[in-house]
Amino acid sequence: MIKKVLIANRGEIAIRVIRSCRELGLVTVGVFSEADRKSMHVRYADEAYFIGPAPSRESYLNIDNIIEVAKKSGADAIHPGYGFLSENAAFSDRCKQEGIIFIGPSAYSIATMGDKIMARQTMTKAGIPVVPGTTEKITDESMALEIAGQIGFPLMIKATAGGGGKGMRLVRDYHDMLPFFRTAKSEAMNAFGNDSVYIEKYIESPHHIEFQILADHQGNVIHLFERECSIQRRHQKVIEETPSPLMTPELRDEMGKFAIAAARAVNYEGAGTIEFIVSDALEYYFLEMNTRLQVEHPITERVVGVDLVKEQIDIANGLPLNFRQEELRQDGHAIQCRIYAEDTDHNFMPQPGVVTHITVPLGLGVRYDVYVYEGYEIPIYYDPLISKLISWGKTRPESIDRMRRALYEYKITGVKTNIKFLKRIMDIPDFIGGKYNTHFIEQNHEKLFDSKLCTTELEDMAMIACFIDYLDKIQKIQPQKFTEEFASTWKDFGRKRSVLRL
Amino acid sequence: MAYEIKLEHRTARIELLNRTGSKMLLAVDDRKYELDVMMVEKGVYSILYNGHSYNVELIEGESSKEYIVNTFIRSFNAEIIDAETKYRQSRKSGASAEGDNNISSPMPGKVIKIPVSKGDKVISGQTLIVVEAMKMQSEFKATADRTVRDILVKEGEIVNTNQIMIKLE
Repeated sequence: MIKKVLIANRGEIAIRVIRSCRELGLVTVGVFSEADRKSMHVRYADEAYFIGPAPSRESYLNIDNIIEVAKKSGADAIHPGYGFLSENAAFSDRCKQEGIIFIGPSAYSIATMGDKIMARQTMTKAGIPVVPGTTEKITDESMALEIAGQIGFPLMIKATAGGGGKGMRLVRDYHDMLPFFRTAKSEAMNAFGNDSVYIEKYIESPHHIEFQILADHQGNVIHLFERECSIQRRHQKVIEETPSPLMTPELRDEMGKFAIAAARAVNYEGAGTIEFIVSDALEYYFLEMNTRLQVEHPITERVVGVDLVKEQIDIANGLPLNFRQEELRQDGHAIQCRIYAEDTDHNFMPQPGVVTHITVPLGLGVRYDVYVYEGYEIPIYYDPLISKLISWGKTRPESIDRMRRALYEYKITGVKTNIKFLKRIMDIPDFIGGKYNTHFIEQNHEKLFDSKLCTTELEDMAMIACFIDYLDKIQKIQPQKFTEEFASTWKDFGRKRSVLRL
Repeated sequence: MAYEIKLEHRTARIELLNRTGSKMLLAVDDRKYELDVMMVEKGVYSILYNGHSYNVELIEGESSKEYIVNTFIRSFNAEIIDAETKYRQSRKSGASAEGDNNISSPMPGKVIKIPVSKGDKVISGQTLIVVEAMKMQSEFKATADRTVRDILVKEGEIVNTNQIMIKLE
């Protein structure tokens, strides 16, 4: 049985994993790069070890260094979190060779699902519908153009090792094909150390719906229902909810069965997610499988009432699943907002910097997963995700109202965040009505970015705050020292006495 | 006391007419406001006006006269325009469109690639430099046909907000 877990990650997910480990009475080992000595997970873990320079390739992606720490600390298992080494087959394999339990699937499952082309072939063989596209890697530029011509526009270029929207480009026009092909390749190289890409037909007005699955070593596979992840910017999810407003009980049942079949097709073990693309007409296609814990896993945990990290650990211990499919049900509705350090008014440009103050939203039905704290400097090297805000309600409208309220309370100062933007989404009729697809942000651009929302009065208040601040600042330059010196009451007393003497 | 303040593209004159503790009477151009203004946390102002509660956060910019202002609805760039600023601006406008010739990064990040060299002739739309921050790559392109006058950074170098990376002519 696992007694000591090394968490090969950083940020909010490292803390999320440590939480479950603590509840299970397991000792936790954190690892950190040069940029992360002050990061929260280093403070929260029982032990923490340095693993290399700030760029992830030299630290969080450095297999040798992480294995060395695992051995030095005597960790018997490694939880990879999401991102970094979580979907690295070589890492899963290496853990096995070193006699360390990898809390995740086998190298075979990761390699098959991780290579999007192999995944497509395997899924087709298993009878699961897939999106039309290439089945080979495309390396050559003239070949890319030729295939683009065959499939037709719009199309998607995707990294074969991809995930999280990196190395992914939507191409609507022939002229954009080569520039986008090149940037997709270089982004893929940077993010995954592998620049191979493939091309896929682009489904117009698609919904992105995924199924959470759990599979044990005994061959049992269950699904924990769907998550609706259609609200995306730059192909990255921003808001997720479960149940999906698009879902019907029949469709859920059918897609759930395909999700289980997909996991079985690669002898999957652990927690995983099958992503589907669903059209308005409810036609669905397998998109990819994420062979790890997802960023949006908390909404499933909240609605189904299962701690997915604990389940992962139980499975890694070789225990059979704690639930049968028929024992699971969805209770109420949950929404997750991803809080990013970014400038929503300027193409969601990342905004690293120092967090000066945080007002935490709490109250009934709110979960808050975070890693930043007051005074923490968000480094430039990693993801701009600061925290995740999860609301739960008996019904979807209650869950939305609660999220709107929580976002109203939530304040982070020092860096720009997308909180205002998320709050605006909560007020958009298409979102409230549950009628949206992955084009939601584009389609509601006017409402989401309209500067008319901003009244002259608000602008005036902004200017007044600057004015008063500046005024007080220049007036303080001289007398500030004086007041500090005379701040003590004893000095006041002395001063009064000398005044009296006069 | 009065200053001109530039908020994004709008400039207004703000005057303090009366101040007793947190109660203030101000004029923004010709609009008068009776307000209760209080700094509730460092850099965060709570303003009460006609029963409305506004929270305004200020982040000081490059100089003490520049601010990034965050309100609940949106954020702004603001600048106090005093005599010194006006003087600076008048000098700047002499060397017309100098700003257009400098490529700077709007966020801190790492220079990934510089596909051009000093002295190169570049055409409008051509990528001059690629900067990565938090795993997102941004390409900075020439807005007109120009010549690369100077490259001030190297590949792999970390740049700060608004740091000039490439000069064009």
